[in-house]
Amino acid sequence: MKGKKIGTTRLDLAKWIASADNPLTARVFVNRVWAGLFGTGLSNNLGDFGYQGEYPSHPELLDWLAIDFIENNWSVKHLLRTILTSRTYLQSSTSTGNLIDCDPHNRLLARQSQIRLPAELVRDNALALSGLLDPTIGGPSVRPYQPKGYYRHLNFPRRTYAPSMDQGQYRRGLYTHWQRSFLHPMMKNFDAPAREECATSRSKSNTPLQALTLLNDPSFNEAARHLATQLLRESPDNLTQRAVLHCLSRSPSEEELKILNRFFTNEKKRFTENPELAQEFISIGHSRPTTDFPAPQLAATTSLARAILNLHETITRY
Amino acid sequence: MFHHNRRTFLGHGLAGLGTTALSRLIAADSAHQRPSHPAKIKRVIHLCMAGGPSHLETLDYKPELAKLHGQAMPDSFTTGQQLAQLQGKALKCMGPQWEFAKHGKSGVEISEIFPNIAKHADKIAVIRSMHTEQINHDPAHTFMNTGSIIPGRPSMGSWVLYGLGSMSQNLPGYVVLTSVGGGQSQPIAARQWSSGFLPGHLQGVEFQSAGSPVHYVNNPAGITTGSQEDLIKTINEMNELKSQSAHHPDIKTRIEQYELAFRMQGAVPKLMDASGESKKTLEMYGCTPGDGSFASNCLLARRLAEKGVRFIQLYHRGWDHHGGIKNGTKATAKLVDQGTAALITDLDQRGLLDDTLIIWGGEFGRTPMAQGSGRDHHIKAFSIFCCGGGIKGGTTIGQTDELGYGIAENPVSVHDLHATMLHLLGVQHATLTFRSQGLDFKLTGVEPARVVKEMLA
Repeated sequence: MKGKKIGTTRLDLAKWIASADNPLTARVFVNRVWAGLFGTGLSNNLGDFGYQGEYPSHPELLDWLAIDFIENNWSVKHLLRTILTSRTYLQSSTSTGNLIDCDPHNRLLARQSQIRLPAELVRDNALALSGLLDPTIGGPSVRPYQPKGYYRHLNFPRRTYAPSMDQGQYRRGLYTHWQRSFLHPMMKNFDAPAREECATSRSKSNTPLQALTLLNDPSFNEAARHLATQLLRESPDNLTQRAVLHCLSRSPSEEELKILNRFFTNEKKRFTENPELAQEFISIGHSRPTTDFPAPQLAATTSLARAILNLHETITRY
Repeated sequence: MFHHNRRTFLGHGLAGLGTTALSRLIAADSAHQRPSHPAKIKRVIHLCMAGGPSHLETLDYKPELAKLHGQAMPDSFTTGQQLAQLQGKALKCMGPQWEFAKHGKSGVEISEIFPNIAKHADKIAVIRSMHTEQINHDPAHTFMNTGSIIPGRPSMGSWVLYGLGSMSQNLPGYVVLTSVGGGQSQPIAARQWSSGFLPGHLQGVEFQSAGSPVHYVNNPAGITTGSQEDLIKTINEMNELKSQSAHHPDIKTRIEQYELAFRMQGAVPKLMDASGESKKTLEMYGCTPGDGSFASNCLLARRLAEKGVRFIQLYHRGWDHHGGIKNGTKATAKLVDQGTAALITDLDQRGLLDDTLIIWGGEFGRTPMAQGSGRDHHIKAFSIFCCGGGIKGGTTIGQTDELGYGIAENPVSVHDLHATMLHLLGVQHATLTFRSQGLDFKLTGVEPARVVKEMLA
């Protein structure tokens, strides 16, 4: 802004922030997009490019991307296309143990990163795989099932939580009602920030509470049943094979088939011997279970789907 | 199992902590601090009296204040001082609303609203000279928990777990319970037991004080334990195969966490099953187990202590008496007194009190000046008490001035309290550090902190 008269209005500030002479804005933005696609930014600190920040691992690349971004009229689509079609992005993430040992955080980008999905996407992914996801954009917040009594200690004013009993139940996690400091437990368990302050990055914890959520939260069990229903409608054959292909976009190995089929067989036996348990299990959630299939068959297939929805691979971007 | 020795820990660097096998909520072998001296205690139970209990109605008797009741508060005390809701108002003294008496052989002065705690007078050390830096509830709790007024730092429970590791294989090492009643109940944010920049598995886990204590701990309807076990075995076998091709420590952690989740599913309901408690024990606490009361939480705290949980925090959100302080403190005390005393007795009878530190107290005190029929927030002086292993019972540390406004003798800061707690755990507070954003952070901050030796046996 050398030589120009500097104004003091908000418009002046906005113009200064978005000026082509100001490299900071584009660098910060590009770095955040990079972090979204690789798990870590070129500079690890997404919120601070100052003295408390981290010098970028690839400064020339960061600058090149930033300038390219500016020169292409700040087009996010252009930026994404540039990165997504690069050889770096297209690398495999399941590389040898050697690379993990010498570059555990993949700062040198000799491979793609394995990223556990963010909280909202863990939910979206399960709903999408089951065919339950309602992709509607916008509108008021929605309320997924939530453990009873969670708002007990919330006051000023006291509130009660009533889960959405319509399509709202299956909207994207993005639209989940945010109660400041009383975050939905599923979101909280998967590290969604409480929004008490601005968060540029999230921790990626790996806790037993996450396991409990995926195992026992009604949302995921209802999704498993819808996934099972879809699979059965297609055909009663090769369920395991097709379930893995559908959820993981790859075929199971012989060994994996053996493991899953053993469990599936056990579950069929359990539910055939205890049809009342099968009925209870397939009645989770407010959507009604299909009656096109015997309850034990639907329940056992739901169990199979539940196993696959719980896999590390299912909630991880490879 | 992943074993991290000091070298691999350093090798992974800081950023790796959250994503490597250290991301375990429970890791009995994950201590990062070698004890610098023999520990007196193994665990801490923090009975957090949230809202700011009036020291003047509980643990700090001020007869001079009684004499000035209804008269103007002398300017010499208050000029230039930060006040909360009383800022700019006419300030009048309000005498103590309850009688005090000397208790036990030691003669510790305790208010009549605590008839049960008073029976333990010779076991407790009262600190009358606590002070804090924050005049509103949330930041004051943040300071009490993290030693910093800036949100985002690790809570003391996380620091203790980071330093010493967990002692339980089936339960989290840091458990939080809350209860309400007796006064305006200010909210408590989960941020208070956050692990901040320490690894996420060190965060406090809030158990629900009524109903199921852990979210999603019960199997879905129609699923038996056998079926759940088979499912987890299947998931882990699949994850194990994936681990062989995908090479990422996160998968190994995931496998461990599914195993732990299953163990928690077994352990948590047993934890809540109080059917083995004798009638006498239940009468002593005066609660129905699982009724969500503070007393029920105290009983649960003992059970958690027995099961190896290292840091237990009970928040009773009922001490914010801006109005009606006489009846209010009595009402809240009634909900807190019996449970607290029963917990001390119960731990003592089971031989657990010797290696437990109980910290009883709030985030600040209340003004000697009236706010209508109540008292406003007060940060310059407040009282707490400690009890348990290594504590010199029957002592009173520090003095406030004659009106209970400022500290006259031997101030004890929140950092001093933290330093003393760590000392009892066998950790030197100055050496328990964690590097984040280029700084070596400590629970006790950068200013000098001291171990309150006067309180130690």
